[in-house]
Amino acid sequence: MTISAAGPADVKAVPPAPADAPKTTGNGWLSQHVGTAIVCGFLGYILGHWLGNYLGSAYPYIANSGQNSLAVLLALMFMVLGWLLGIGALNYPILKLTGRDAKPEVEYTGWSRYFRYNLDHKIVGIQYVVAVLMFFFTGGLLAMAIRTELLSPTVHVFSADTYIKIVSEHGTIMMMMASSIVVGPLGNYFVPLMIGARRMAYPRIEAFSLWTFVAGYFVIFSALFFGGFPTGWTGYAPLQTQAGPGMVSYLFGFAVISIGMIAAGFNLAATIINYRAPGMTWSRVPVFVWSIIATAALLTLASPVLLAAGLFGLLDKTAQTAFYVTEHGGSSYLWENLFWFFGHPEVYIMALPGFGIVGEIIPVFCRKPLFAYRIAAAGMIGVALLSFFVWQHHLFQSGINPDMRPLFMLTTELISIPTGFIFLVGMGTLYKAKIRYEVPMLFCMAVYFNFLIGGISGVFLSDVPVNVTVHGGFFVLSHFHYTIMGGLIFAFFAGLYFWLPKMTGRTMNKKLGLWHFWTMFVFFNLTFFPMFVIGLLGQPRRVFTYARDLQTLNDFSSIAAFCLGASFLIFVANLMWSQFIAPQKSPANPWDSLGLEWQTATPIPSHNFDRIPVIMTDPYHYSEVGAPALVDFGDGSPAHASSSVASSTDPDQ
Amino acid sequence: MTDMIKSSPKMSDTPEEREFELRAHIGAIWSGGRLFIGIYTFFLASLAFSYFYLRSSNNGLLWRPDHVTAPTAYGWTIYTLTLLAALMAIFGQSRLRKGSVSDWQTAVWVGVAASLLALFLQIWEFVAVPFYPGSSGYASTFIGYAVMNVMTIFIVAYWLETTVARSIRLNKELDGVSPQLSMHPSAQSFRANVASMTYFLGFVALASTLLFAMFYLL
Repeated sequence: MTISAAGPADVKAVPPAPADAPKTTGNGWLSQHVGTAIVCGFLGYILGHWLGNYLGSAYPYIANSGQNSLAVLLALMFMVLGWLLGIGALNYPILKLTGRDAKPEVEYTGWSRYFRYNLDHKIVGIQYVVAVLMFFFTGGLLAMAIRTELLSPTVHVFSADTYIKIVSEHGTIMMMMASSIVVGPLGNYFVPLMIGARRMAYPRIEAFSLWTFVAGYFVIFSALFFGGFPTGWTGYAPLQTQAGPGMVSYLFGFAVISIGMIAAGFNLAATIINYRAPGMTWSRVPVFVWSIIATAALLTLASPVLLAAGLFGLLDKTAQTAFYVTEHGGSSYLWENLFWFFGHPEVYIMALPGFGIVGEIIPVFCRKPLFAYRIAAAGMIGVALLSFFVWQHHLFQSGINPDMRPLFMLTTELISIPTGFIFLVGMGTLYKAKIRYEVPMLFCMAVYFNFLIGGISGVFLSDVPVNVTVHGGFFVLSHFHYTIMGGLIFAFFAGLYFWLPKMTGRTMNKKLGLWHFWTMFVFFNLTFFPMFVIGLLGQPRRVFTYARDLQTLNDFSSIAAFCLGASFLIFVANLMWSQFIAPQKSPANPWDSLGLEWQTATPIPSHNFDRIPVIMTDPYHYSEVGAPALVDFGDGSPAHASSSVASSTDPDQ
Repeated sequence: MTDMIKSSPKMSDTPEEREFELRAHIGAIWSGGRLFIGIYTFFLASLAFSYFYLRSSNNGLLWRPDHVTAPTAYGWTIYTLTLLAALMAIFGQSRLRKGSVSDWQTAVWVGVAASLLALFLQIWEFVAVPFYPGSSGYASTFIGYAVMNVMTIFIVAYWLETTVARSIRLNKELDGVSPQLSMHPSAQSFRANVASMTYFLGFVALASTLLFAMFYLL
C-alpha cells in the first residue's frame, strides 16, 4: 500500500522527480568544519574587542564607567558570528540574498560529518549528545568543587567570592544544558522517525540551533576568564548591575542559548505539525512526540522573553541604560519578572521531555498499552499552558503585592493536577504489569521515585507560608535537584540506554549499565535527600560557610556527591567500551518495541524510510490479541503488533 | 521560510510521495510564518511589559522627568517608512494574486528601499539620541525599543529582499510563466513564502503602530 490520499485537491500537476542530482563532493578538510569555526571565532573575538574599545572611547559615559563591557560584548558577539560563519551556518542566508536556491548538500561520510554543519537530523542528534554531555560534565565538575568547599565550615578551599562564582557557573551551565538535553539529542534524532517523516521541516534551522547551543557554551564558559559573575544562575539585579564583565558573558550566553532554543522549538513544532506520515493522526502520535511539541511551544514562546531580558541587561552593562537600576528609574524587579516569565516555563521545558521518554519506554517493558494515553497528552498540554501563569511564585519573597500571592499559590498548585495526570498514567501502566527490569526501565522507575519526592516537596513550596520559611535555603535546592536531576537526567539516561542501540547499532554493556544505574540512583538520593534536612535546619544557598553542627550532614552529602560524580565515569566507561573498544552489534529491535523508529532499518538510511509509511494505529498495543497492524511500508508486509518485531531491512541482520 | 533540504537523490519517490512532501513543505512554510509571529509577539511584549512596569512603578519619580521624548521627526519618519514597507508588501501580494508579477516586484523593491532607509534612520537615532540612556525609565526603554526596532526592520528588509530576488530567479526557472499561475513546486513554495512574509509584515505594521504610540505619543 502506498499513500494515495495525501495531497490536497489543488496539487495535481507535480512534475516528475528530477534525474539523480549530480553527486557533489566536498573539499575534505579544506571546507568548513569545527576547525574553521574556531579560527573564525577567534578572529571575530579579536575584531570585536578592538571595535568595542574603539567605539567605547567615543562615548564619555562608557569611557568613564570604569570598565568597557562594550568591548567584551562585541568581542563575544563577533566570536559567535565568526563561529557561525566558520561552521557554514551563514552560507545559505547569504546565498539567499541573491535569490538562489540552496545548493545540494555534500554528503560527507565517516567521522568528519560529525564536525560539520550537517543537515541530517540523525547526525545533529548525535552532535547534540556530545554537546550536552560536554555541558553536563563541565557543570558536574563545578558541582564537585562546590561539595569540596562545603566539606568544612571553617577550612576553605576557595574564597567566598570564588565560591559564589563557581556556584553561578555551575547553575547556569546546568540550566542551559538541561533546556536542551532531551529536545536536542533525542528530540531531533527521533521525532522524525516516530512520526514517519523523512526529514525535518527546517534542517538548517535545526543545525543552527545546535551550533548556537555550542557557541553558548563557550560564551558562558568565558565568564570564568572575565572574573565570573556572583549572581547565581538567576542573575538577579541589582547584583547583576554591580557585577563585572563576567556578567556580560552570562547575559549574552543566555541570549545565545535562547536563540538556539527558539530555533530548536520552531523547527520541531513545524515538523510535527506538518510532516506526520499519512495516518499519523493526533490520537496516534507517540507520547514522546506529544511531550516534544508541548516543549516546543514553550521554547518558542518563553525563550523570546529571556532574549529580551538579556538584551536589556546587556544594554544596562554597555549603553548605560537603567532597566534594572532602581535609582535611575528602572527596577530590579523587572528582571525578576522577565526572567521568571521565562524561567518557570523553563522548568517544564526540562521536565516534559523527561515525562515523554518515560511514557514511551514503560509500555515496552511492561508489555502493556500505555494507560490513559489521551490523559497523558492532555496533561502535557495542560502543564505547558499553566506554566505561563505561575512565575510570580518565585517572587513571593521579593516585591510581589502580598494580595497577589494567593492567586499564584493557587495557579502553582493547579499545575500539580496535570502533572499528577502524567504521573498516574505511569502508575496505571505499571499496575499489574510483568515488568522487565532492563537498564532503561530501571532509570524510568527511578524517575517516578525521585519525581515523587521532588513533586511533593514542590507542592509544599507553592504554599506561601512554607515558601517564606524555607526560601533561599537548601530545601529549595534539594527540591529542584530532585525534579530536574532526579526527573530529567534520569529520564535522559533511560532514553540513551533505550535508543543508543538504534542510534549506533551497538549494544550498551548491561552489567556496566546496571552498575551505573544503581550507583547513580543510590548516591543521588544520598546526596540530595540530606539537603532537605540541611535546608530545614537553616543552611542558606550560595554561602560557603555554615553552622558547625551541620558539618556531619554536609560531609555525608559531599561524599555521596563524589560517588555520584564517579557513577558517571561508569557511564563514560560503558560508552567507550560498548561503542568503540569492544562493540557488540545490537539486534534490530532489542527491546521488542512497537515504536515506529524501531521499524526502520539499522543503520537508518539518510532518508529514514524507503517509502513514506502509512500509520494504522498507535504504537502501544502490547500483548493485545488481534491488535491491528501498526504501519504499512508499502512493501506488502505491514508490521503487526502481535509480531512486535522490526521489519528490518538491514541486510546484515 | 524556504529553508528546506532538497530531496535525497537516492530516493525514488512515487508521485503521491512527492505530493505529500510538497504539501508538508507548504504547510511548514505556513505554520513557520505563524510561529515566527508568535515568537516575535512575545519578544516585543517583553518590551511593552517593561515600559508599563517602569511607567507604573515610576521609581524615584524617574519614569520620565521633564517629559523627555525621543526626536519625533525621526520617529514619524521611521514609522512611516516601516508602514510603507508593510503596505507595499500587502499591496504587492494583492497584485500578485491578480497575476501581475512586475507590480509585485516593484512594490517589494519599494518596500526594500523604505525598510533600508528606516534601518539607517533608526541606527542614526539610536547613536545620536539627545538624552543619557540611563537618565530615566523612559530613556532606557526607548533605547531598548530602538535596538529591537533595528532588529525588526532588518528582518523585514532581509525577508523582502530575499523574496524578490528569488522571484527574479524563479522567472527564469519557470520560463516566464507567472509564479501565481504555475503549479511547479518552486512556484507553490514561493507563493507560500510570499503569503507568510505578507502576514508577518502586517503584524509588523500593527506592532510598529502600538510601539510608536507608546514611545512618541503617550
